[in-house]
Amino acid sequence: MSKIIVIPCSGIGKAFGTIGREAAQIVVDEARPGVTDTVCLSALVMGDEETRSRVHGRRCITIDGCPVGCARKNVELAGGTVAKALRVVDVYKDHRDLKPRTVTELDEAGRALARILAQTITEEVDRIVEAE
Amino acid sequence: MVDLPKRKVGIISCSGEELAEGTVSRVATRWVLERLRQEQTVTLCLPLFLAGGKEERAFAKFFPTIAVDGCPKLCAARATAAYSAEPAARIVVSEIAARYPELKPESRRQLGPGGEELARRVAEEIAARVDQILAQPTRAKLVRLGEMGQPEPAHAGQDDAEPTAVCSCQGGGVPARAVLVAGSPVSILALEPIMQQLVAFGDGADGELRNKLLEMVKVYNPIPAEQEGLYAEALWREFLAYRQGGGSR
Repeated sequence: MSKIIVIPCSGIGKAFGTIGREAAQIVVDEARPGVTDTVCLSALVMGDEETRSRVHGRRCITIDGCPVGCARKNVELAGGTVAKALRVVDVYKDHRDLKPRTVTELDEAGRALARILAQTITEEVDRIVEAE
Repeated sequence: MVDLPKRKVGIISCSGEELAEGTVSRVATRWVLERLRQEQTVTLCLPLFLAGGKEERAFAKFFPTIAVDGCPKLCAARATAAYSAEPAARIVVSEIAARYPELKPESRRQLGPGGEELARRVAEEIAARVDQILAQPTRAKLVRLGEMGQPEPAHAGQDDAEPTAVCSCQGGGVPARAVLVAGSPVSILALEPIMQQLVAFGDGADGELRNKLLEMVKVYNPIPAEQEGLYAEALWREFLAYRQGGGSR
């Protein structure tokens, strides 16, 4: 089975971008390292052949920090298949007590949101794997 | 006092998700924005830039940018050049890291002491470039109205943005205004708030106001030295009409 590609937007202006990035790396590096991978979103969109070949025909889970949906849009533009598009703001809506206040290095609230989001991503990964 | 937009440098970081150097790039950029050059810099979100964010692209057309890349693929620099304008400076983390082999990030998620020190040095290099760029006269593109909306061959993917530069952190545009210079329409950035500010100055002598007008316009617009007289005349004519109209023309 080919690996599932987890791609965060890594938006740099706000905490939600950092949270999405942190959550993706938790899943890829710790929670499901055997069945997931990530690629550089910028390289994908800039047409890097090696990156495109790793995404082409594979299921992707995109994680966006804001409603613009850059990760989802860019993966679609690059020919990837978006199996699930997640948004950090949706996790935050369910946990409004966790209000992140830092961007560069997440505070405790931001880290907690990242862990919750990572759990959601992991469940999506498992669901995709089971369906195969 | 009118809140006149300040000239700033946009920093575009690759944020490469796969590599520790991408994390260094991101953290160094944030440090410059938050600590080292807070008032002089803004960041432009690269994924949004690539997805077609007109505001981000418009910003980079009028203001200098620094591209910060984690690896030799140079995604940030190439994206900026392709979609907007050639960056004023390029920083490549892997090149800086090669100069400090003892500074190694622990992982792409946790930089650790070595990675943080590397990020600090990258941030200092970015800040130095910011200072160099702001010390130079503006190299913003001169937009003649006849050129607007026409694609530029060297800038594939260029959108048809209005001549308005947007500062990402402020969310507000820098308005452009058409002025006839020697019979040719030229788009002048920030002219309206500049004139507003001069009117608010009150009863300065006309000669003093005329010089001040030209100097302020030059902060945001490239004016060829040999045409300064023509621009001064055109700007002063525009200002007089603006002032006569009660500052609302």
